[in-house]
Amino acid sequence: MKIRAINIIGEGELATKLKELVSKADFKVIASEFTGDYARQAADVDLVLEVAPEDIAVKKKVFKSCDAKCGKETILATTTANPWVTQLAKATKRQEKVIGLNFTKNPFEEKYLVQIVRGLQTSDETIQAVKEFLGKVGVTAVKLEENPGFILDRVIASIVNEAAVMYSSKLATKEDIDSMMKVCVNWPMGPFEFADTIGVDKVVEILESMSQQLGPRYQPCFLLRKMVDAGWLGKKTGRGFYVYS
Amino acid sequence: MKFENIGGMKMEVKKIAVLGAGIMGHGIAQVCAQAGYQVNLRDTKDEFVEAGISKIRKFLGGSVERQKMTQAEADVILGRIKGMTDLKEAVKDVDIVIEAIVEDINIKKEVYKELDQICHPDTIFASNTSAQSITEMAMATKQPDKFIGMHWFNPPQLMRGIEVITHDKTSKETLDIMVGLCKKLGKEPGICKDSPGFIVNRLIQIWYNEGLNMFDEGIAEPQDIDTALKVAYNFRMGPFELRDMVGLDVALASTGTQYRELMREQFRPPRCLIMKVKAGDLGRKTGRGFYAYKSEG
Repeated sequence: MKIRAINIIGEGELATKLKELVSKADFKVIASEFTGDYARQAADVDLVLEVAPEDIAVKKKVFKSCDAKCGKETILATTTANPWVTQLAKATKRQEKVIGLNFTKNPFEEKYLVQIVRGLQTSDETIQAVKEFLGKVGVTAVKLEENPGFILDRVIASIVNEAAVMYSSKLATKEDIDSMMKVCVNWPMGPFEFADTIGVDKVVEILESMSQQLGPRYQPCFLLRKMVDAGWLGKKTGRGFYVYS
Repeated sequence: MKFENIGGMKMEVKKIAVLGAGIMGHGIAQVCAQAGYQVNLRDTKDEFVEAGISKIRKFLGGSVERQKMTQAEADVILGRIKGMTDLKEAVKDVDIVIEAIVEDINIKKEVYKELDQICHPDTIFASNTSAQSITEMAMATKQPDKFIGMHWFNPPQLMRGIEVITHDKTSKETLDIMVGLCKKLGKEPGICKDSPGFIVNRLIQIWYNEGLNMFDEGIAEPQDIDTALKVAYNFRMGPFELRDMVGLDVALASTGTQYRELMREQFRPPRCLIMKVKAGDLGRKTGRGFYAYKSEG
């Protein structure tokens, strides 16, 4: 199965960026708003890339509508950061053609990393087709089995959580923790800088999802919960572990 | 011992003893000498001392070749370092002893007991340990208030960060002197209370373990995990690559130590690490670890 035409369904920064990215690679790209008549617009494409809001009900609706209108061979991909691929697949009649393609923007440069998320039902052919597609788009992709936090969120949320435990137990200041990780082992950012960049609320969400699935060791440090309660969510609110002007 | 009366009694560090001329010790001695300090570099045998000093000479020679300094400057730096094997001689008139000997708590405690007898009572003891308890070593001396941890990273000449480890009885003055010293050495100090792994090894352990656990759980392959972290967030190496570089036996030993001390699930040694070590695949040094490496020949 070769991917030639793509429909990107959704609005917002990521949807815009993805349109740019894919258009450069000489694919036929249709952009639809997820509130519009996207399913009809998706009818003739080989790949649907869903960038709807992170709400399972909304995404299920998008998948059901596309499933009804698209050709039998069309691959339906979700960009969700949540482990929803398997249940989105279940909402369609083409379970083996549903896959996750999660895009993470590098905070330092203009590039993306794609996590190809394999749901329980996803077929090897589907994986192969999206790999080829991503290769032509020119983005680096990695493959994983669907699991809370995928690869990146799991690692980053875990280091933020441990750092928060160390900071709240007053072993060291947040500034010293961040700077030591950068100057002693060359981390690109310290854990608190990661938290403020990703969003403290998002870190807590990831940890909660992981602690439900993987056990209590992922329970968010209470400091992180208090920060969410206080609205100290990071750069986006002007205050997280650090204050931004 | 020189004192300056600025805002109370403040010791000025002039002379430093470095115990242990191995990988860390010789580098620490070089950094101190480059910053202008007189250094006594002491090890138990002449050959160890000579090996350390010859490594320093080689490093400085490289800097001269790359025109980072003149030969005359290199000679001045070398001239500040005195190699010796006599412990008493090495520590008798120094302001700080930086201990970088073998990571064995019993041997370290023995050395500190001896130092306690022969050093001037104002001498500060700084241990370059990464794994032993600062508190335990401090309590082996009569003046725990003058005991502090000074954890350097390898290679000391190039790595900019130093973890400064305090324990309950470390005095404010000792801490201030140590922070001041780090800055004069051109290093960035980070202060941490005595606890397993301090800051860096504890956090990087989580990063390693989450990576390795995902492989154990069948979620992703080492290469995918490494690539994801490097491409998305600019980590220079991934957890599997770094483990292979350091050596999986070394990795397993340090993971085991932290797990025993912190007793939390997230520090448990991953199964894949245990199995690789059992299979003798220890990383780059054996040609195979999480990845296969081409042999040199």
